[in-house]
Amino acid sequence: MHATTFGLIGAGSAGIKEILPAANELLWGTVSFLVLFLLLWKYAFPPAQKALQARSDKIRDDLESAEHDRGQAAALLADYRRQLAEAREESGRILEDARRRAEEIRREIQGRAEAESGRIIQRAQEEIAAERERAIAEIRREVGTLAVDLAGRVIGESLDRERQLVLVDRYIDDLAAGGRGEEN
Amino acid sequence: MRAISAPWILAAQPGFQPPSVNELFNWPNIVTLHLGPLNLGINRTVLLMFLGAIVVVGLFRGAFRRPKLVPRGLQNVMEALIDFIRRDIAIDVIGPEGVPWVPFLTTMFIFIFVVSVFEVVPAIQFPVTSRAAIPVMLAFVCWILYNAAGIKKKGLGGYLKAVMFPPGVPKPIYILLTPIEFVSTIVIRPFTLAIRLFANLFAGHLLLAVFYVATAYLIQPKITALFSIASFAMTVFLTGLEVFVSVIQAYVFTILTAVYIAGAVSTEH
Repeated sequence: MHATTFGLIGAGSAGIKEILPAANELLWGTVSFLVLFLLLWKYAFPPAQKALQARSDKIRDDLESAEHDRGQAAALLADYRRQLAEAREESGRILEDARRRAEEIRREIQGRAEAESGRIIQRAQEEIAAERERAIAEIRREVGTLAVDLAGRVIGESLDRERQLVLVDRYIDDLAAGGRGEEN
Repeated sequence: MRAISAPWILAAQPGFQPPSVNELFNWPNIVTLHLGPLNLGINRTVLLMFLGAIVVVGLFRGAFRRPKLVPRGLQNVMEALIDFIRRDIAIDVIGPEGVPWVPFLTTMFIFIFVVSVFEVVPAIQFPVTSRAAIPVMLAFVCWILYNAAGIKKKGLGGYLKAVMFPPGVPKPIYILLTPIEFVSTIVIRPFTLAIRLFANLFAGHLLLAVFYVATAYLIQPKITALFSIASFAMTVFLTGLEVFVSVIQAYVFTILTAVYIAGAVSTEH
């Protein structure tokens, strides 16, 4: 053997034969590959594809359900927010209502109290006026009697009592009219 | 260059027996079998082909015998491989209609890889793809498949027309283009596919073997021991390189198969 045996050119009979496949290797290589392919195709790839498919299905399902849950949570949150806003509005309205009612009641009570007090005052005034009338009438009568008695005593002349009283009344009325006229 | 030239210099000296191509690649029959003039015997290479197929079956069986929803270990690796072939080769290159090709492309990829990476497996250390048989067979299978796919999709006439008369070209150009397209698509492709794979692994095995033998030859209590160390360093480097080459060649073969199929079934050229 020499250095030339490295090269294909120098390898003599090994030359072109190396590039062409040997019949036995070609046959058994083909058999190996085809049997291998058929085995894998029939037995290995279906479960492998199934495993991959199952995984991608699961991942997709998980993602979808997460998405769904998220959507639900968001809807729930929006719902709660809406309810809260409604409750707030409701409580505001109730408060406002209560305020208005209180104001109404206050006004009503005030009005009633004012009316009541007005009535009381009026009645009092009426009573006062009636008392006054009565007092004046009383005084007038007393004064009349006194005057007649006094005059009777003074002039010694006993007038008919009824007439005297009429005279006195007239007199007092004149006085009153004259007095009133003077006052005005 | 220095490391490579060392065995050449030394080879000129008497005593060094460089490995010959015959020694490195031609294994004698273990079981003799003849069919007329054809030698159909089983040798080490054939046994390694069987072993490669068994290893691949074992990988799939280990990964998918009881597939878990949350994959671990081997299942993870194999799923990643299938997913890679599916997404980055079948769907990227061929499109959605490439999905049915995934089992074939995956088998092709992993078989090429396993029988190539035998190069660096201790006690085996021989890439089956450095023999012409597997590359030639796979290239032929690929050739049949992409042509069949094209004919199935467009009919024989439609397929040949699509191959030889790409649209959008001025008419006189066809005189030049049609023979070129025909030869490159129908004739050249299987050869380039086969030779690319075969030559890469052949060269890799030759290099590794030379540096192993040189390392052993040079290790003696003389100054040449330094060359032995350099030569050994090369074997370490080349071992890593061969793993890389195995992956790359498996990938290239598979993606080119996908590209040829895509070209054959695509409606617009």
